[in-house]
Amino acid sequence: MTDLAEQERLSRELADGPLRDEMFPELVAQERAAKTERAPAQEASAPGYRLRFTGDGREYFRIWIVNLLLTLATLGIYSAWAKVRKTRYFWQNTRLEGHVFDYHGAPLSILRGRILAVVLFTAYSWAFDISRVAGLVTIGVLCMSGPWLFWKAQQFKFRNTSHRGVRFDFSGGVRDAYISLLPLLLIWAATAVSGVLLAEKGWLGLTVGLCWLALFPWMHQRLKNYQHGRARYGDQQARFQAATADFYWTYAKGVFVLLGALLAAIVIGAAFTAVFYVVVKDPQYLRRGGWIAGLAVAGAMYACLWPYFSARLQRIVWDKTQLGPLRFRTTMAPGVLFGLVVACVSWTTITLGLYWPFAAIRLARYRIESMEVLSNQPFDQIARGVIPSAAAAAGDSAADLFGLDIGL
Amino acid sequence: MSLTSFPATLFDGTNPTAHPVRVDVLDRDLLVWSADATSAPALLRRGSFGEVRLSEPLAYAPRLVRWRDGTTLEVAATHEFTAALGQAGLPPTWVARLQRGWPFAIVALVLLIGLLVFAYMRGIPAAARWVAFALPPGVEQRIGAEVLGLLDEHQLAPSQLAAPRREEIAAQFAGAATRAAPDVAYRLEFRRTAKGNGINALALPGGTIVLLDGLAERADNTQLLGVLGHELGHVTRKHGMRNVVQAVSVGAIIGVIWGDFAGFGTNLPLVLGIMQNTRDFEREADDFAVALLRANDLSAQPLIDFFKIVVELEHKRGGSIVPDFLSSHPPTPERIERLKQFAN
Repeated sequence: MTDLAEQERLSRELADGPLRDEMFPELVAQERAAKTERAPAQEASAPGYRLRFTGDGREYFRIWIVNLLLTLATLGIYSAWAKVRKTRYFWQNTRLEGHVFDYHGAPLSILRGRILAVVLFTAYSWAFDISRVAGLVTIGVLCMSGPWLFWKAQQFKFRNTSHRGVRFDFSGGVRDAYISLLPLLLIWAATAVSGVLLAEKGWLGLTVGLCWLALFPWMHQRLKNYQHGRARYGDQQARFQAATADFYWTYAKGVFVLLGALLAAIVIGAAFTAVFYVVVKDPQYLRRGGWIAGLAVAGAMYACLWPYFSARLQRIVWDKTQLGPLRFRTTMAPGVLFGLVVACVSWTTITLGLYWPFAAIRLARYRIESMEVLSNQPFDQIARGVIPSAAAAAGDSAADLFGLDIGL
Repeated sequence: MSLTSFPATLFDGTNPTAHPVRVDVLDRDLLVWSADATSAPALLRRGSFGEVRLSEPLAYAPRLVRWRDGTTLEVAATHEFTAALGQAGLPPTWVARLQRGWPFAIVALVLLIGLLVFAYMRGIPAAARWVAFALPPGVEQRIGAEVLGLLDEHQLAPSQLAAPRREEIAAQFAGAATRAAPDVAYRLEFRRTAKGNGINALALPGGTIVLLDGLAERADNTQLLGVLGHELGHVTRKHGMRNVVQAVSVGAIIGVIWGDFAGFGTNLPLVLGIMQNTRDFEREADDFAVALLRANDLSAQPLIDFFKIVVELEHKRGGSIVPDFLSSHPPTPERIERLKQFAN
């Protein structure tokens, strides 16, 4: 058993890993040259290094099931440790140029962050049950603290990730966070307040809804600009140049995909209803048909929209991100991701969730391996003269106070 | 004393430069030697087991050794290195060891299912009961008021029952309730369904009992007392609040299990709060109704007759909405049987 696993590991290492670079230097060099040739003209000078993912569904299943058991048995407290073990599993299995990434988040910080999140969420859910004033005060507190929390979360995420022993960092300031998130907060607060206080005025809800629709791509660009433009690796500063127009264009195309999905779903729902009616001849099934159509709409939207946005946004975001001399390229295709998502969702549903760790590994492999880092310089020479990460880590204790993970 | 040597890469924590090195496991120390082709090996770093932090051994990832100052060692031959460390007295943590094989994963799966079944059968109901009785009454009343507000907005309309009849029902029930359970606070509200004439009565969190016109018109006074007694039973045992807490808890657990999956975009329309013990709730409420009737020297027979009438009526209508006091679990025939035993 161990011999088999060992052989498999060695062959994997030979297929892509440091062993391969050692054993077949000419072949690796040839491949890199070939990759360079395939690259578009303007990037022809920069060879691409594809990210590799060595995670294994069976291995991750064992980690996942233990995490789940301990999390439930400890009423959620273990979830912070689970998060660290999961994140480490994914980072330590991600290779760039044969070297892996690492994660250093402290479980206790994450636990504090989660307790804070639960408190805020509970306050938000119940405040309006106590009184309108309490509700408005809670919304105010959330608006005031939101950008600060987001800033802390970004710091925590970047500072606790490393590659080649060098930590990433986040150079964004707290003032920047407030400025970047201001429109989002205003419109969110308007939605929350108008939803509660002025429920009877339909036109107001409509106006707020239209505002969301019209401004969302712009706000998304601001958010990504803040996140990607302030990242650092050692002494190298990231730059982010995606134009707002790129986001609007992506979202506009997304609306067409959405309309297509809706149409398909309505046709599917209607067909099912008709079949039921013809077979059973019970008018009740016409009513149930509505449910089928509703589910079909939800399913189709999820299966089409998520892959579309995920792939397109990964492309516009990473193609326009630069980290020092590094550029990025993604080859993620909505069609491939669509097939993958349909398979993963189906299997996960059929197995009542047990397939989820395998699905997570498959999705991570596709997303990670479709990323390529373009660099003219060897990675050895990218970042120089940075502060030792130990010093950075010591100055970090404030950032570590709350380990928030906000997935945006 | 054992000496085993592994090729590795050293990063100094300041520069991303990869230094090819060899690492030896000697007693309870790690020795890091330079591995330049051009010069003789020099000792770069020495670390005792106590001062380094090791990553978990993973099947296809290198094993990482981290020093406090940020120095990192990447050892590609995870398995051999882990074995050597184990021989030298530094085995992986117990969680990591358990996770390496399938037996424990299967045990974990079985334990997880056991835990979920236990939570469903015992844990959540017990916690919900504790929360419902520990919660300040004000919170429960606000929740009830909110539910009633939502019902009024979407499903219910003001009652069209004549005011004297309403007063009569309220007074009669107040008298009966005082005789059976003098210290239970409740509030009786009259409504009708916005569409059709629904035959129903419901108990909301916080002690509000809603009586619908359809029921008031079809039942005689004794039958009404029985049905309202059933609802008062829900009130005394705080079933409404317990249902709310149970639904929230089930949602939270599903969130933990499926959260990853759901967080990644889907939102499955899950029917929450289908708990085994709602059956017990109905039984408890039936028992309370019988006790209330008895306290007023009445038989349970009229209530049984009324149950039968409503069951037939609902059956004829082909309605799928079962009145609360007849909610399908426990199966109504079984409940009627149980009531009959009391009636005799």
